[in-house]
Amino acid sequence: MQVQRSIARNQRMELFLDMAELVSGLLLVGFLWTHMIFVGTIIINPNLFNALAAGLDRYYLSYIGIPFIIVIFFSHLVIAGRRIPTRFQEQKIMWRHASMLGERDTWTWVFQAVTGMAILVLASIHMWVVIENWPISAVFSALRVQRYLWLYLVLLFVGEFHAGTGLYRLFVKWGWFKRQSVFHVIETITVLIVVMGLGALWVFLRLGVRVV
Amino acid sequence: MANRNLKINIFRYNPAEPEKKPSMASYPFEELPGLTMFTVLNRIREELDRTLVFDFVCRAAICGSCAMIINGKPRLACKTLTKGLPKEITLLPLPVFKLIGDLSVDTGTWFRHISLKTEAWIHTSAKFDPTAVEERMDNETALRIYEPERCIECGCCIAGCATANIRDDFMGAATINRVARFMVDPRDERTPGQYFDVIGCDEGTFGCMGLMACDNNCPMEIPLQYQLAYVRRKMAAFGLGGWKGTGRTGEPQHHRAGRSAS
Repeated sequence: MQVQRSIARNQRMELFLDMAELVSGLLLVGFLWTHMIFVGTIIINPNLFNALAAGLDRYYLSYIGIPFIIVIFFSHLVIAGRRIPTRFQEQKIMWRHASMLGERDTWTWVFQAVTGMAILVLASIHMWVVIENWPISAVFSALRVQRYLWLYLVLLFVGEFHAGTGLYRLFVKWGWFKRQSVFHVIETITVLIVVMGLGALWVFLRLGVRVV
Repeated sequence: MANRNLKINIFRYNPAEPEKKPSMASYPFEELPGLTMFTVLNRIREELDRTLVFDFVCRAAICGSCAMIINGKPRLACKTLTKGLPKEITLLPLPVFKLIGDLSVDTGTWFRHISLKTEAWIHTSAKFDPTAVEERMDNETALRIYEPERCIECGCCIAGCATANIRDDFMGAATINRVARFMVDPRDERTPGQYFDVIGCDEGTFGCMGLMACDNNCPMEIPLQYQLAYVRRKMAAFGLGGWKGTGRTGEPQHHRAGRSAS
């Protein structure tokens, strides 16, 4: 027994953190998918996109939702990030282990850790530039996409991969459904959202060209 | 069809001779029908290299001694046919466990430690009466106990677990599976709180990241994902106050985890 470990031990906190990881992850996936569907309205019609943005603004949903999601975003970074090995030796073990096993779920975990860091940087930039040019409108968004196209392309892929894999892993850990079925459902949703996201980026690019 | 000529690469290292660096040795081997890695290793030791160290006892997937990494996957040598493998086969000792030499690791000490730590035995106040008729148990419960009981403690789930590879105190699937076995056993009088003390922590059920290499590689095909999720749900339910009791008598209403039950 080591005194410092016994004193600092709090199993309820360990449960709380596990639950917080679950809840924050679920909220972020829910947010991301809703967000992508909202963005996807640009494919149908820029006026619909504008009306939706104005509606969220008018009823203060943006002013409640955005700060809330920012808090959840950074909480998730800390809570889920506690699983990421910090020592170089541990990181090397992880990488070698994933290479040795060659199993999908171990590799996707490694990429989740990597994409998590990428999302931290890219989504922070995204949030900053959106809030700086408030309110949201099709024209501003088009200009933004034109200027930061590579950022949005990368963020779309890493974001959706991270969210889809994370959601799959939650279902695996809590065992509500068969894991192969869960994988296929989430994979399909993720592919659909990525395709929709690419479509939205394409529409924004063309809008951007017309505006400029 | 002509027999394939296999190339067997084996990790060689003896911790008692640290001046000799770890290395890989290659042995040629002619494949025969129905050949298992167990036979390959025994023949290599008999005919090619008598210094080769590896473990085996039962050669029938019962003892769990011959677990090793076969082409990157944790497998039992006795249960692995060469037929399903490529011509070049690489054998490594299991990670996580203490290396004895070459392919031999000490899983026994690890499993004994975990057994003691989780008190992996029936906790009962009932006095055993050898003359009495055995107590009955419904079939469903018996099957739910039997399923995790099939674990042979080979260590494949532990070796495949990324968390166990980096966290020395992580108890792994075999342990959580074992605790699950006692949780469904009506003869075990432990309270949910006592189970929470044992397994409701980061070294136990909350440390699992859901990478499922345990579930993919269990040679006994125990449904480990189900077992892990079952324990996680039960422990969360207790911790959040939803799992008050199991109908057993003498159960404290508010057992505080992390403190001794008075």
